[in-house]
Amino acid sequence: CSRLHNRPSISPTLLLSNMYQRPDMITPGVDPQGQPLDPRKIQQHFEDFYEDIFTELAKFGEIESLNVCDNLADHMIGNVYVQFREEDQAAKALHALHGRFYNARPIIADFSPVTDFREATCR
Amino acid sequence: SRSRSKSKRTSGFDMAPPASAMLAGASAVAGQITGANPAIPGMF
Repeated sequence: CSRLHNRPSISPTLLLSNMYQRPDMITPGVDPQGQPLDPRKIQQHFEDFYEDIFTELAKFGEIESLNVCDNLADHMIGNVYVQFREEDQAAKALHALHGRFYNARPIIADFSPVTDFREATCR
Repeated sequence: SRSRSKSKRTSGFDMAPPASAMLAGASAVAGQITGANPAIPGMF
C-alpha cells in the first residue's frame, strides 16, 4: 500500500484521523506513568470513547457503521471511520467537526472512499 | 430498574487544549516562518 489514498470530494463515509488514543499507547498494558493498567479499564476507556463519538456523530444523521481502529501499530492508529446512510449527512458532520477538539486534540476529518468495510483493503 | 446516571461522564468533545499550549504552538509556527525567510534570498 502506497498510503496515498484518494480523498473523494463527497462520500457517505468520514475518516477521523488518529482520533482514538489508547491509555496504554506507549507500552501495551501500562499507562504513561509506568503503572499497570487493568484490561477492564482499557475496555471501559474504549467504550467511553465509542459512546462519545457515536452520540456526537448521530446528531448529523443515521450511522450505518462506526469503526474505531484500536491498534498500537503506527498504520491507521486510532482512525475512526463513520459511514452515514446519506452523503449529505456525512458532509454536514464534516462541516460541523471542522476546527473542533476532542480531549485537547484537534479533530482531523475528511471524506473516505470506504463504503464496504468487509472489502476495505489496500493494495 | 437501573439508577445509574448516564450523564456522570463528560464527553471529550470540545475539550480544547489549555491556552498556554495554544500560545506556545502559535509562537513555534511564527518562529518557523521567520526562520525560513533568510534561506530564500540565499538561494538566488
